[in-house]
Amino acid sequence: MKTLRIAWLVARPSRAGLVLSLLPVVAFTVTTALLVVVLGGAAALWTTGGQVVNAYRMFTSIALSLLVMPLLGLGGAAARLAARRRDDRLATLRLLGAPRGQVSAVAVLEAAVLALVGAALGAGVAHLLVPAIGAVRFAGAPLGGSMRLSGAATAGVVLAVTLVAVGSAVLGLRRVQLTPLGVRLRTDATRTGWVPAAVAVGVVAAASVGVQVVGGSGAVTVVVVGLGLSFAAGIGVLNLLGPFVIRLSAGRRLRRAGSAAALLAARRVLDDPKGAWRQVSGAAAVSFAAVVVGAGVSILDVASRESLSAEDAMLVTDIRTGLVVTVVGAFLMVACSVGVTQAAAILDRAELSRSLARLGTPESVVESARRRAVIRPLLVTTLGSAVTAAVVLFPLTGLALLARPLSLLTILGSVALGVALVQATLWATAPLQRRAMSETP
Amino acid sequence: MTPEHSPPPEHTRGRPGAAAVVTADGLVKRYGLTTALAGASLAVRPGDSVAIMGASGSGKTTLLHCLAGIATPDEGVVHYGGPDGDVEVTALSDARRSALRRSQFGFVFQEGLLVPELTAVENVALALMVGGTARGEAERLAAGWLAHLGLAGMEQRRIGQLSGGQAQRVAIARALVTGAPLIFADEPTGALDSHTSADVMGALLGATTATGRTLVLVTHDATVAARCARTVHMVDGVVAADRSASPSPSPYTQPSAPPTVSPSAPPTAPPTTSQSGREDGR
Ligand SMILES: Nc1ncnc2c1ncn2[C@@H]1O[C@H](COP(=O)(O)OP(=O)(O)O)[C@@H](O)[C@H]1O
Ligand SMILES: [Mg+2]
Repeated sequence: MKTLRIAWLVARPSRAGLVLSLLPVVAFTVTTALLVVVLGGAAALWTTGGQVVNAYRMFTSIALSLLVMPLLGLGGAAARLAARRRDDRLATLRLLGAPRGQVSAVAVLEAAVLALVGAALGAGVAHLLVPAIGAVRFAGAPLGGSMRLSGAATAGVVLAVTLVAVGSAVLGLRRVQLTPLGVRLRTDATRTGWVPAAVAVGVVAAASVGVQVVGGSGAVTVVVVGLGLSFAAGIGVLNLLGPFVIRLSAGRRLRRAGSAAALLAARRVLDDPKGAWRQVSGAAAVSFAAVVVGAGVSILDVASRESLSAEDAMLVTDIRTGLVVTVVGAFLMVACSVGVTQAAAILDRAELSRSLARLGTPESVVESARRRAVIRPLLVTTLGSAVTAAVVLFPLTGLALLARPLSLLTILGSVALGVALVQATLWATAPLQRRAMSETP
Repeated sequence: MTPEHSPPPEHTRGRPGAAAVVTADGLVKRYGLTTALAGASLAVRPGDSVAIMGASGSGKTTLLHCLAGIATPDEGVVHYGGPDGDVEVTALSDARRSALRRSQFGFVFQEGLLVPELTAVENVALALMVGGTARGEAERLAAGWLAHLGLAGMEQRRIGQLSGGQAQRVAIARALVTGAPLIFADEPTGALDSHTSADVMGALLGATTATGRTLVLVTHDATVAARCARTVHMVDGVVAADRSASPSPSPYTQPSAPPTVSPSAPPTAPPTTSQSGREDGR
């Protein structure tokens, strides 16, 4: 009971306000809602398609694998935010002489409560969303109630989200206790090596050759298998290459930085290229997929004019629908995770931001640095991965470009929409930044 | 050749009978039910070094923040006698106060509060870049100041790679590099051991009052206060006792340094390695 009393002491709304205490809950709500919707949709599609059920399953798997990255990013960001929020107050508790075990118990308990409340709310939101999202038509009919997860499955998701949050709280706590200063003032920028980059380039080359060989024949199944393989390879490549490319481009911007904001932004990205990548990796993966699948669909579309069976034609339509849904969903997750990560970073750096304001640094400089540190890596990775996809699948993308130039525009449009979503999230967190810099919170 | 930002502006050199560089009159500041300042007044003359002492919670930081235009008092006025004449700080807008702090004041905080991702030289240069100085020039001046404060060769280190005393010297360089005539320091040695503390105080005084700048510093440490020309004590939000360390507080009655050889001027040539535009590989 003493632990509970201390937990209340730590968890009750602080001077920083109720809004900040609610942020982690909101983050868990969004994560869980998106997770439940995605799983529901996947479960519904798993049994769709009749004769070509395997094709549906394959594309559902691809969509799921695409959504895993941004979803993990969002969940991780939510957990980090929940952990960070109370670090300083936990430190105070420790100073007041609370035993270390009790402090840890409080931290874990709070993470569990925040995650559980958020996840339960999220599950509710997801079920409210089913009628709207269920209107999307697959295999000629709306998904409807078939995408509603069972009560047991929903409870399982809520529990899983809570457990992940608790696990991440335990890990985060250990890091803080081991190196209280190391966390705040990292002595070294995280490194990104040449080896993964070299491996990545090798995979791109191999996949490209593979596609050229396979792409020669025209059969639908061969195209589909080729797409699947090169797609998996591409995602792997992206993950290896992403942090490296982000570091290279930030290094270039650091050398060119002429303004305080540009210097701060470049250094911030260079300080943790992997973190910057984590924030935008979902967008990179989805823009890669948009090119691959978009090109594939265009080709199949051209083919369907002549010789496609009715079922294959419907599959083509559904792939296109699924692509749009996945792109929108993934960018939504990326935007949410950027919002959560930014909120956490702003809270984390509030004292530093306030000190800069005291020195007379205009708010606009700090705000602009914060935005650049997100947007530049986002642009580099989304455009970079779209180009990578186009190169890997050159014969396919070239053909698609000739046959269906509109498909290219759709892809560019979806990337632009994603960037705009992230921009909007940055705008949404600007008041928090302003508050962090002001003397009267 | 001396860099344009380094030499102390003429008006800050100690002058007998010079008007106060900063004046607080009857400051009252409340935070909810707490009264942090209850009618505090203080006038600081150019070239002076003033230590503000007092119990924890007596309002030292709040007074410093009001003097520096960081916080606005509920009652009372603050005047700053700058190069462009007298400015009523308390009547300025947020943006104007921010610009005033940027161009006229330097700050050293207890914990340094340097940007951890930036190198030492970039942290110092940032203060100039925010005011519009080009990066190359800013880093050159910054490197000069770092060298002057005994940090030559450490320009490219990140803040986490510096000791507490070194980091505080970087913070001092950042406060001085813009050529600000008035430097505020809130317990600048509070986190340092006594030996390092003496070093840092030496660096701070050597670069401020010794060259005619004005220093207002909050400290708990009597040894630190003893090195300032004047000490004021705060009790419950008012300046209760005010005494000078010596009968004739030196800096403003007797300018200590001849203006021609300014010890604060950084070396004309920056260190041999180029600071600008180099990616930090560490
Ligand atoms: N931002 C603030 N919000 C609420 N109370 C504050 C704030 N800043 C200072 N105080 C209160 O005002 C009083 C004076 O604080 P401060 O000037 O920081 O004292 P000192 O620096 O002498 O220790 C203290 O009681 C402190 O708790
Ligand atoms: Mg104080």
